[in-house]
Amino acid sequence: MSDRPERGARERILAAAVDRIASDGIDDMRIARVATQAGVSTSLVHYHFETREALLAEALEYSYELTGDVRIGEGEGEAADRFEQLAGLIDQFLPYPGHLQKDWILYVELWLRAVRHPEMRPTGVRLYGRMREWVAEGIAAGIGDGSFKAGADPVRVADRLIALADGYGVRVLIGDLEIEQARREVWAGLTGELGLSEEPPPPLGEQRPPAAAATHP
Amino acid sequence: MSPRPRLDHVRRPELLQAAATVIRRRGLVNARVTDVAEVAGTSAPSVLYYFSSKAELLSEALTFAEERFYEQLAARIDGIESAVERLAVIVEWGAAGGDYDAALWMELWAQALRDEQLAETRAELDARWRRTIAEVVSYGQERGEFGPADPERFAVLMGSLLDGLSVQIALRDAEVTPSRVRDLAVTLAERELGCTLPATVETPA
Repeated sequence: MSDRPERGARERILAAAVDRIASDGIDDMRIARVATQAGVSTSLVHYHFETREALLAEALEYSYELTGDVRIGEGEGEAADRFEQLAGLIDQFLPYPGHLQKDWILYVELWLRAVRHPEMRPTGVRLYGRMREWVAEGIAAGIGDGSFKAGADPVRVADRLIALADGYGVRVLIGDLEIEQARREVWAGLTGELGLSEEPPPPLGEQRPPAAAATHP
Repeated sequence: MSPRPRLDHVRRPELLQAAATVIRRRGLVNARVTDVAEVAGTSAPSVLYYFSSKAELLSEALTFAEERFYEQLAARIDGIESAVERLAVIVEWGAAGGDYDAALWMELWAQALRDEQLAETRAELDARWRRTIAEVVSYGQERGEFGPADPERFAVLMGSLLDGLSVQIALRDAEVTPSRVRDLAVTLAERELGCTLPATVETPA
């Protein structure tokens, strides 16, 4: 994350909190470390965020809004056809090294948080709602122009894609699987319903995903 | 571990259960030995008499909770002859039944990213879940109920789908009801294994 001078202290604190959560875990996030990283005093952190809980909640919300913005709409411009577009969608949901991987660690923290703290659930539900809508639109477009099999239910296929990507993604993150294998398996889980070829098209470009790092503040 | 008195067998399960309760409530990092002692109605030194460290207590508590799930599931499955019905029970428990310990499950996955001992515990428990699914697939193939599919690969596929869906169940997403989850899992199983699962199975108590 590049620090732009115009960013306010509040946003710097949130960005620093996101970083600390990703490295230390939500329960081990320390205000003092967040303050150091944001280049502010701990009293300024307390001025903007009355409690540690408030900072955690807002940091996660901040991160998820960004994650949604980054994922949704990325990587579609260069896709040659609906199949590459679909593969690109899958890639956005997997923990590729770099930003997506960090987002993923925060993801797992959000899941954890949502179980113990009901007030965090709406953040997660909103994020999943946006992702579902985005994926379903891509699927519907492919059915509409005849690329995918007619009769498939776009929302159901979207649900399956997201659930499979979450399940395989966490296994990649933890080291059970290689990301390429996860990519192929998520694709394979959709082939029957959408009438796809056995293997997904190769990833676009050398580094997937190309735009995520650039747009993340 | 040093030899412990026979009393062990009386107290350990209670302490493990108490520890699971504390982890659900406070999270793994914030779970304290004194909290476990309080829930179990004993003292912190007594807890530490049975477990050499907090890490050991927590790791065993997670394993203990998961093991009960597998024992109950195995007992349920063993009483069923048909493979499609066995698979339907697994889907049902994985989709809705598994939710009862979503808090512990997620603690384990999240902490396994940072803690080597818990990473091992997680790997063992996940392997057990996959083995449970794969065995039902092989069993169904022997009986001619399922078509050709790699049981191991199907187990990861089904396990991943159910894990992914359990996240959305845990968020209490109104869009993701248990029946929708079940439907998604059943559709995938039927397609991959070329079978038809029974419409309803008994839900776990």
